[in-house]
Parts: sequence; C-alpha cells; structure tokens
Amino acid sequence: MAEKPRLLLSSSPSIYSGMNVQRLMLYVIIALLPTSAYGVYLYGQPALTTILVSVGSCVFFEVAFRKLTNAKQNYTDLSAVVTGILLALVLPPSTPWWMTVLGALAAIVVAKEFFGGLGHNPFNPALIGRAVLLMSFPAALTTWHKPFQTIADATTTATPLNILKLGGTLSDVAQSLGVNQPADVYLSLFLGNRAGCIGESSILLILVGGIFLLATGTIQILTPLSMILTAFVFSLILGMDPLFQILSGGLVFGAVFMATDYVSTPLTPKGKILFGIGAGIITMLIRKFGGFPEGTSYGILIMNAFTPYLNTLVTKKYGYISGRNNS
Amino acid sequence: MQVKTFKGGTHPPEKKELAKDVPIEYHLSPKQVVIHLNQHTGAPNQPLVKVGDTVTRGQKIASSEGKLMIPHHASICGVVKKIEPRPQANLQDGVAIVIEADGRTEEAFLPPLDPFACSKAEAIERIKEAGIVGMGGAGFPTWMKLSPPPTKPIDVVIANGAECEPYLTIDYRTLKEQASAVVYGLGVCLQILGVKKGIVAVEDNKIDLLPTLEDAVANFLKGPGNGKGFDIRVSVLKTKYPQGGEKMLITALTGREVPSGGLPMDVGTVVQNVGTLKAIAEAFLQGKPLIDRGFTATGSACKTPKNLVVPIGTVLSDLIPEVIQIEEDLRRVIFGGPMMGVSVPTLDTPIQKNTSGVVFMNSKEALIYEEGNCIRCGRCLQACSCRLSPALLNEAILANDWDLADQLGLLDCIECGTCSYVCPAHVYLVQRFRVGKLTLRAVKASKTKKGGN
Repeated sequence: MAEKPRLLLSSSPSIYSGMNVQRLMLYVIIALLPTSAYGVYLYGQPALTTILVSVGSCVFFEVAFRKLTNAKQNYTDLSAVVTGILLALVLPPSTPWWMTVLGALAAIVVAKEFFGGLGHNPFNPALIGRAVLLMSFPAALTTWHKPFQTIADATTTATPLNILKLGGTLSDVAQSLGVNQPADVYLSLFLGNRAGCIGESSILLILVGGIFLLATGTIQILTPLSMILTAFVFSLILGMDPLFQILSGGLVFGAVFMATDYVSTPLTPKGKILFGIGAGIITMLIRKFGGFPEGTSYGILIMNAFTPYLNTLVTKKYGYISGRNNS
Repeated sequence: MQVKTFKGGTHPPEKKELAKDVPIEYHLSPKQVVIHLNQHTGAPNQPLVKVGDTVTRGQKIASSEGKLMIPHHASICGVVKKIEPRPQANLQDGVAIVIEADGRTEEAFLPPLDPFACSKAEAIERIKEAGIVGMGGAGFPTWMKLSPPPTKPIDVVIANGAECEPYLTIDYRTLKEQASAVVYGLGVCLQILGVKKGIVAVEDNKIDLLPTLEDAVANFLKGPGNGKGFDIRVSVLKTKYPQGGEKMLITALTGREVPSGGLPMDVGTVVQNVGTLKAIAEAFLQGKPLIDRGFTATGSACKTPKNLVVPIGTVLSDLIPEVIQIEEDLRRVIFGGPMMGVSVPTLDTPIQKNTSGVVFMNSKEALIYEEGNCIRCGRCLQACSCRLSPALLNEAILANDWDLADQLGLLDCIECGTCSYVCPAHVYLVQRFRVGKLTLRAVKASKTKKGGN
C-alpha cells in the first residue's frame, strides 16, 4: 500500500491572499501601457525600438548575471521588464540602441544585482540607468525631436522646459508647440503633444496609469501627491509658473512611477510624505538653479538615499497613546 | 446602525457559508476521551485519579495549586485507562487522562447556584471550580479575568461574538440557538464585576442575529437581570480580520487602546467569548462544569461541514466517519481557524477546551510557499492590526538587532497573521515574529540577570 501523503505542518496562517510579486509587476506594466503606446504614436518606430531594446536587455542582463553568479533565476517576477519599460520611457526617442543597452546594464547589473537583486537596491534602477547615460552622453540624452516626424530627417527641437531655461517665455513655448494662445499651452502639455522623453509627455495618460495603480492597491497616493503638491507650492515660492512646472518635464511621470518604486522609497506613511516633499523641492531647485533644465530624476535619486532614515519614522504603534509607555 | 471597526486588518474569504446554516449537532457519547492536564494558560494540573478508577461525567479529575489554577473534569462516565502523553492541539503532546466509556449516563454536577443572590466570592469560586477558560482560543482562566485588582476598575464587559476567523461558525450558531444563555452569562459577569454596561458584539456578516440578540437581552433584563440597572446593548462591527482580537474589539467599541504590555482590564474592559459566557451560564443554572464544547468541523476536505457539541477530550478520529466525513485528499488539519489555528500532524488529536473549530484542507487549498525576498511594497504595514511595521521588524530580526526589534514593537505583535496573509513575496513574517518574541524575551531576561538595562 502506498504511503498516504503526510499532513502539512506549517505555522499559521494557513491561507494567503493570493497576491504575488508577479501580479503586482504586471499591474505596473499595464499602468505603463497607455503612456508607452502614446510615446510610440508620437515618435514612431525609434520609440518602439528603444522600449523593446531596453526591456530585452534588462531581462537579458538579469538572467545572465544570475547565471554567472549561480543565483536563483527570478525573471518570472517581471521586475526586469518593469525596469526596462521605465528606463526606455525616460530616454529621448532618438537614443541609439547601444546606449539603451548600456543604460540597461547600469540599471540591472550595477544598480540592482550588485546589491543583491530585487528588494535590496537602494536606488531606483531605471533612474540610475538614465543618470549614467546622461553623464556619459550628455549630447545624445538632451537631443529632442518634434513629434510626428521620422527621426532620420526630423528637425531637433527644445523641450518646453529647455525653452524656459534658455530664457524663453510662455509665448515661445506656445510657438514651439504650434498653439496660438499662450493659455493653450497648458492643455497641450496636459494632453502631451510636445517634445520630450518617450513616456513623460502625456500627463493625462500617466494619470490614467496612476489611477489604475491606486485602484488596484498597487501603490499608495501619499508620495505622488506630496511630491506634486510640494513642487507646485515650491515653484510658486521660487517665482515660477507652478502649473507649467507640473505639466512639463518628467515630474508627474516621476511622481507616479518612480517615487512609488517599492524598494527604493520609504515604507512608512510619514516617510512617504517626506520623500515626496524632498523630491519635489530638489526637483524645483535643480530646475531653477541647476545646470539641467529638468531635475526630477535627480530629485528622486537623491531622496532614495534618505530612504533608510525615513523608514525610521514609523507610525504610532497600537497601545502607546497615553505616554505611559516608553517606546 | 453604526458599524464600528479598527485601523488595519484584511478581508480573507469568509467561507462561513459552508457550515453557517447547519444547526448544532450533539454527540455526547464517544467511546473514549483524552483529557490533557495542560489545556489552559498556567502550570499543568496534577491528576486526582489513577488508572483503573471509575469516574462520572462532571467529576473533578485534575487540579493544581498554581495561581492560574483551573481544574479539569471527566466529560464522560467511564474508567481511567491510561495517564500518559498524547498528541495535543498545541503540539506539546502533554500528559493526558484517557477515559474509556462504560455506558453509564450519570452526572456528578455541582448544585445550581443563583449568581444574583450569592456573594461575589462564591460566584468566582463557582466559575473556577467549573474549570472555565477562554473558549475563543487563548485558554486563559476566566475567573482571573473576573477578579481584577481594586486598582483596575471595570466599566464595560464585552461578549465577543465577532468570530472573525474564516470558516468558523460555532459562535454564530451558539448565538442563534442559545442567545439567552450567552446573555445570562454576560449578566453574571456584570454582576460579579459590579458593572452596569454590557455589549454583545457581532460582525456585520452576522447581522441577521440582531433581532434574536435583542430579544434575548430584553428577556434577560425583564427576567433574571431585572432591577439590577444593567445596560446591555448589541453592537455591530465591520466584518474584517482580526476584528475579534481583544485589542481590536475594545478599540472598535470603546475607542480605548489597551496599553502596550497591558491587559483589557487596564482600560476598564473585560472581554469574554460567547462560548465562555454560555459555559458560565450553565455552571450556575445546571451546576455543569466545562465538559462539553461546540466547534465547527469544516474546510475544503470536509464533506460534512457542520457545527458540533462534543465532550471535551473527544478524539477527532473517533468522530470520523460517523459524524464527520473527510475526503481522501486530506493535506492539512487545523485546530482553530486558518489564520491563527495550529496545523496538527494526526487526527488522533482531542478537542480541547479552547478548540473552536477544525478545518480540513485538501491539497488544492493546503499550500506552503517558498519564502521570497521582501520587495518592500508596504502591504504589511497597511494591514497590521497593531500599526506595527512588519517589514522593518523582519529586517531587524534577520539582523539579530533585538534592541531595534523591541523598539519597533515586536512584543506588541498579537500574532494575528494578517501580515503573512497579505505578503506578495510570502515572507515568513508572523512566523518569524513568534520565534522572535521568545528570543527577545530571553535576551531581555539575560540582560536583567546581568544587571544591565
């Protein structure tokens, strides 16, 4: 007689919610689809190539590194795919494919796997990838193309933030966006018909993705909200046009998709809020006083370094109300 | 009606529909019972009988001198066959008195006692002598809860009918079928503590009980509870795990928080499970000690989900297959609910005073996951019923940083398991906290010994 299978004896709980890492990552991928598709719609095949090359090389580098180091393969968790999409979406559409590969190498191997893989990276991998490329190839990473033209014979242009950085006015931006009234600039920016990184332009579609992430409980609203509000208020203090500052550049994209990265941002509610405030302030400081027209990625990367400290700001625990207890 | 709750928690599938509508069945004549000496919080009892003795249902067979003393009673008439270690639901496999039935149907109960006429000391003595412990799961001696020091005045007694564990329905059935006994038990507690305010609390998935409960309260206030000035209300709580945890229940109903390291009596509350209250009522009205208990037999591998009352010590395997039929594909047996219950290695485990349910799971439902890396998604922080930071606690324990773990509130963890339930990476959170609490207590004790801080 065959021996009956033994009864399982693990410590409770004996049931699980069914949520897993793969599903969370899939939600992020779904949330990134609208703005990715819009990027391809704006810039055509080069944008698509950048996304595919980035995703492909991110997954390749993760698998290869884990194979070389005899670590357990975990590409099925889809985190490398998410990093790949995020990296591509913060690159200009004309980025040469080999640069994208280098960016993926920096993101996956240097920023993530060297620290022990998913769950251990102190900095946002995709933003490290972009930062490395921006330092190594400043010209290529700040070459922008007008939407709806083939890259080969397209004229380069400046992003709205560029125009302002070089002393331009809202009318100059209106001219570059092809709208008549300076007031129409805001709507145009909100909808996303402007030069910039592949995934950052359409605020509308980024918000659609963000609402999906909130509705599925994938992210919490604290960080994006505090980051965007802070940027709004702080740009007002610095004498900038707050609405323009929010709608242009990668601020909303960064707030929704980068500042909500699980691993490199705080876990605690207080930490999340402070992270958003810090990132918003640094972004605006860079835009106002820095050498680059855009500061979102550095704003978030710098705040990543604060995360371990921000995690010590825990919520008041149950049973510690009256002050009778020492925590 | 206002629906009350606490911050945090989660919503596991209820699965209560399996046994919810099955009336309680009584199976009071098992061929044997196995009564453990250590089925309560406190030092194990000493047997008062020896092998070969004939015992009668209701006879005291084990007791001790300890502070948390609770006697145990023979739950059937029969002959003591053995006194030896037996498998046990807490996996301690302690010494048990094995009684083989001899077919007699006599009862050796205490004389009935009127709790509203006798002295407070007599009433507490009765609850102690009846061997009553918390039947919700913890097994804490009930008379202790009803004897707070004079420095801790009580102003409200809560009948806990939340039954937040998935699958379990015995409290629901008890309230539906024996609401008057539960309310009577609550009245006894109010009388002993000299408290006016009582609350019967149920989750809103049991809202159909409201008329029954309100009738029972009205009848009690007109009958035995007449003229005492009692103010007993029925409260509805949001259906959410772990709503039935003492701390969560108190906070939801009164807004008070039990201080860290404290007991409900520190905030003027006493909480009793509805099964316990029913046992208290029987101890006075019939003089019956705690020798029977209700539990829910259910789960994906249980062909006959139902609610049962059996003598304490009834061995699970003796109920199979006459009373409970289980599937061939049985992979897990849980004493208690699926969130906090203990998985046992054998069906030869007896029903104890604190066994509220037995969940049988098939291989589809009984899963064990490999532990993954924490991805720091923060779901455990949102779910923690004590507002702790499980992900950070986990890191502190892995780093053997016991000062940090202490600071983060490791000892405040009530081990409800919500963190592990929601974790997408299947990090062994509550499992690690259980071990961590023991280690941290040991670390603290050794520090005190050395005269450090």
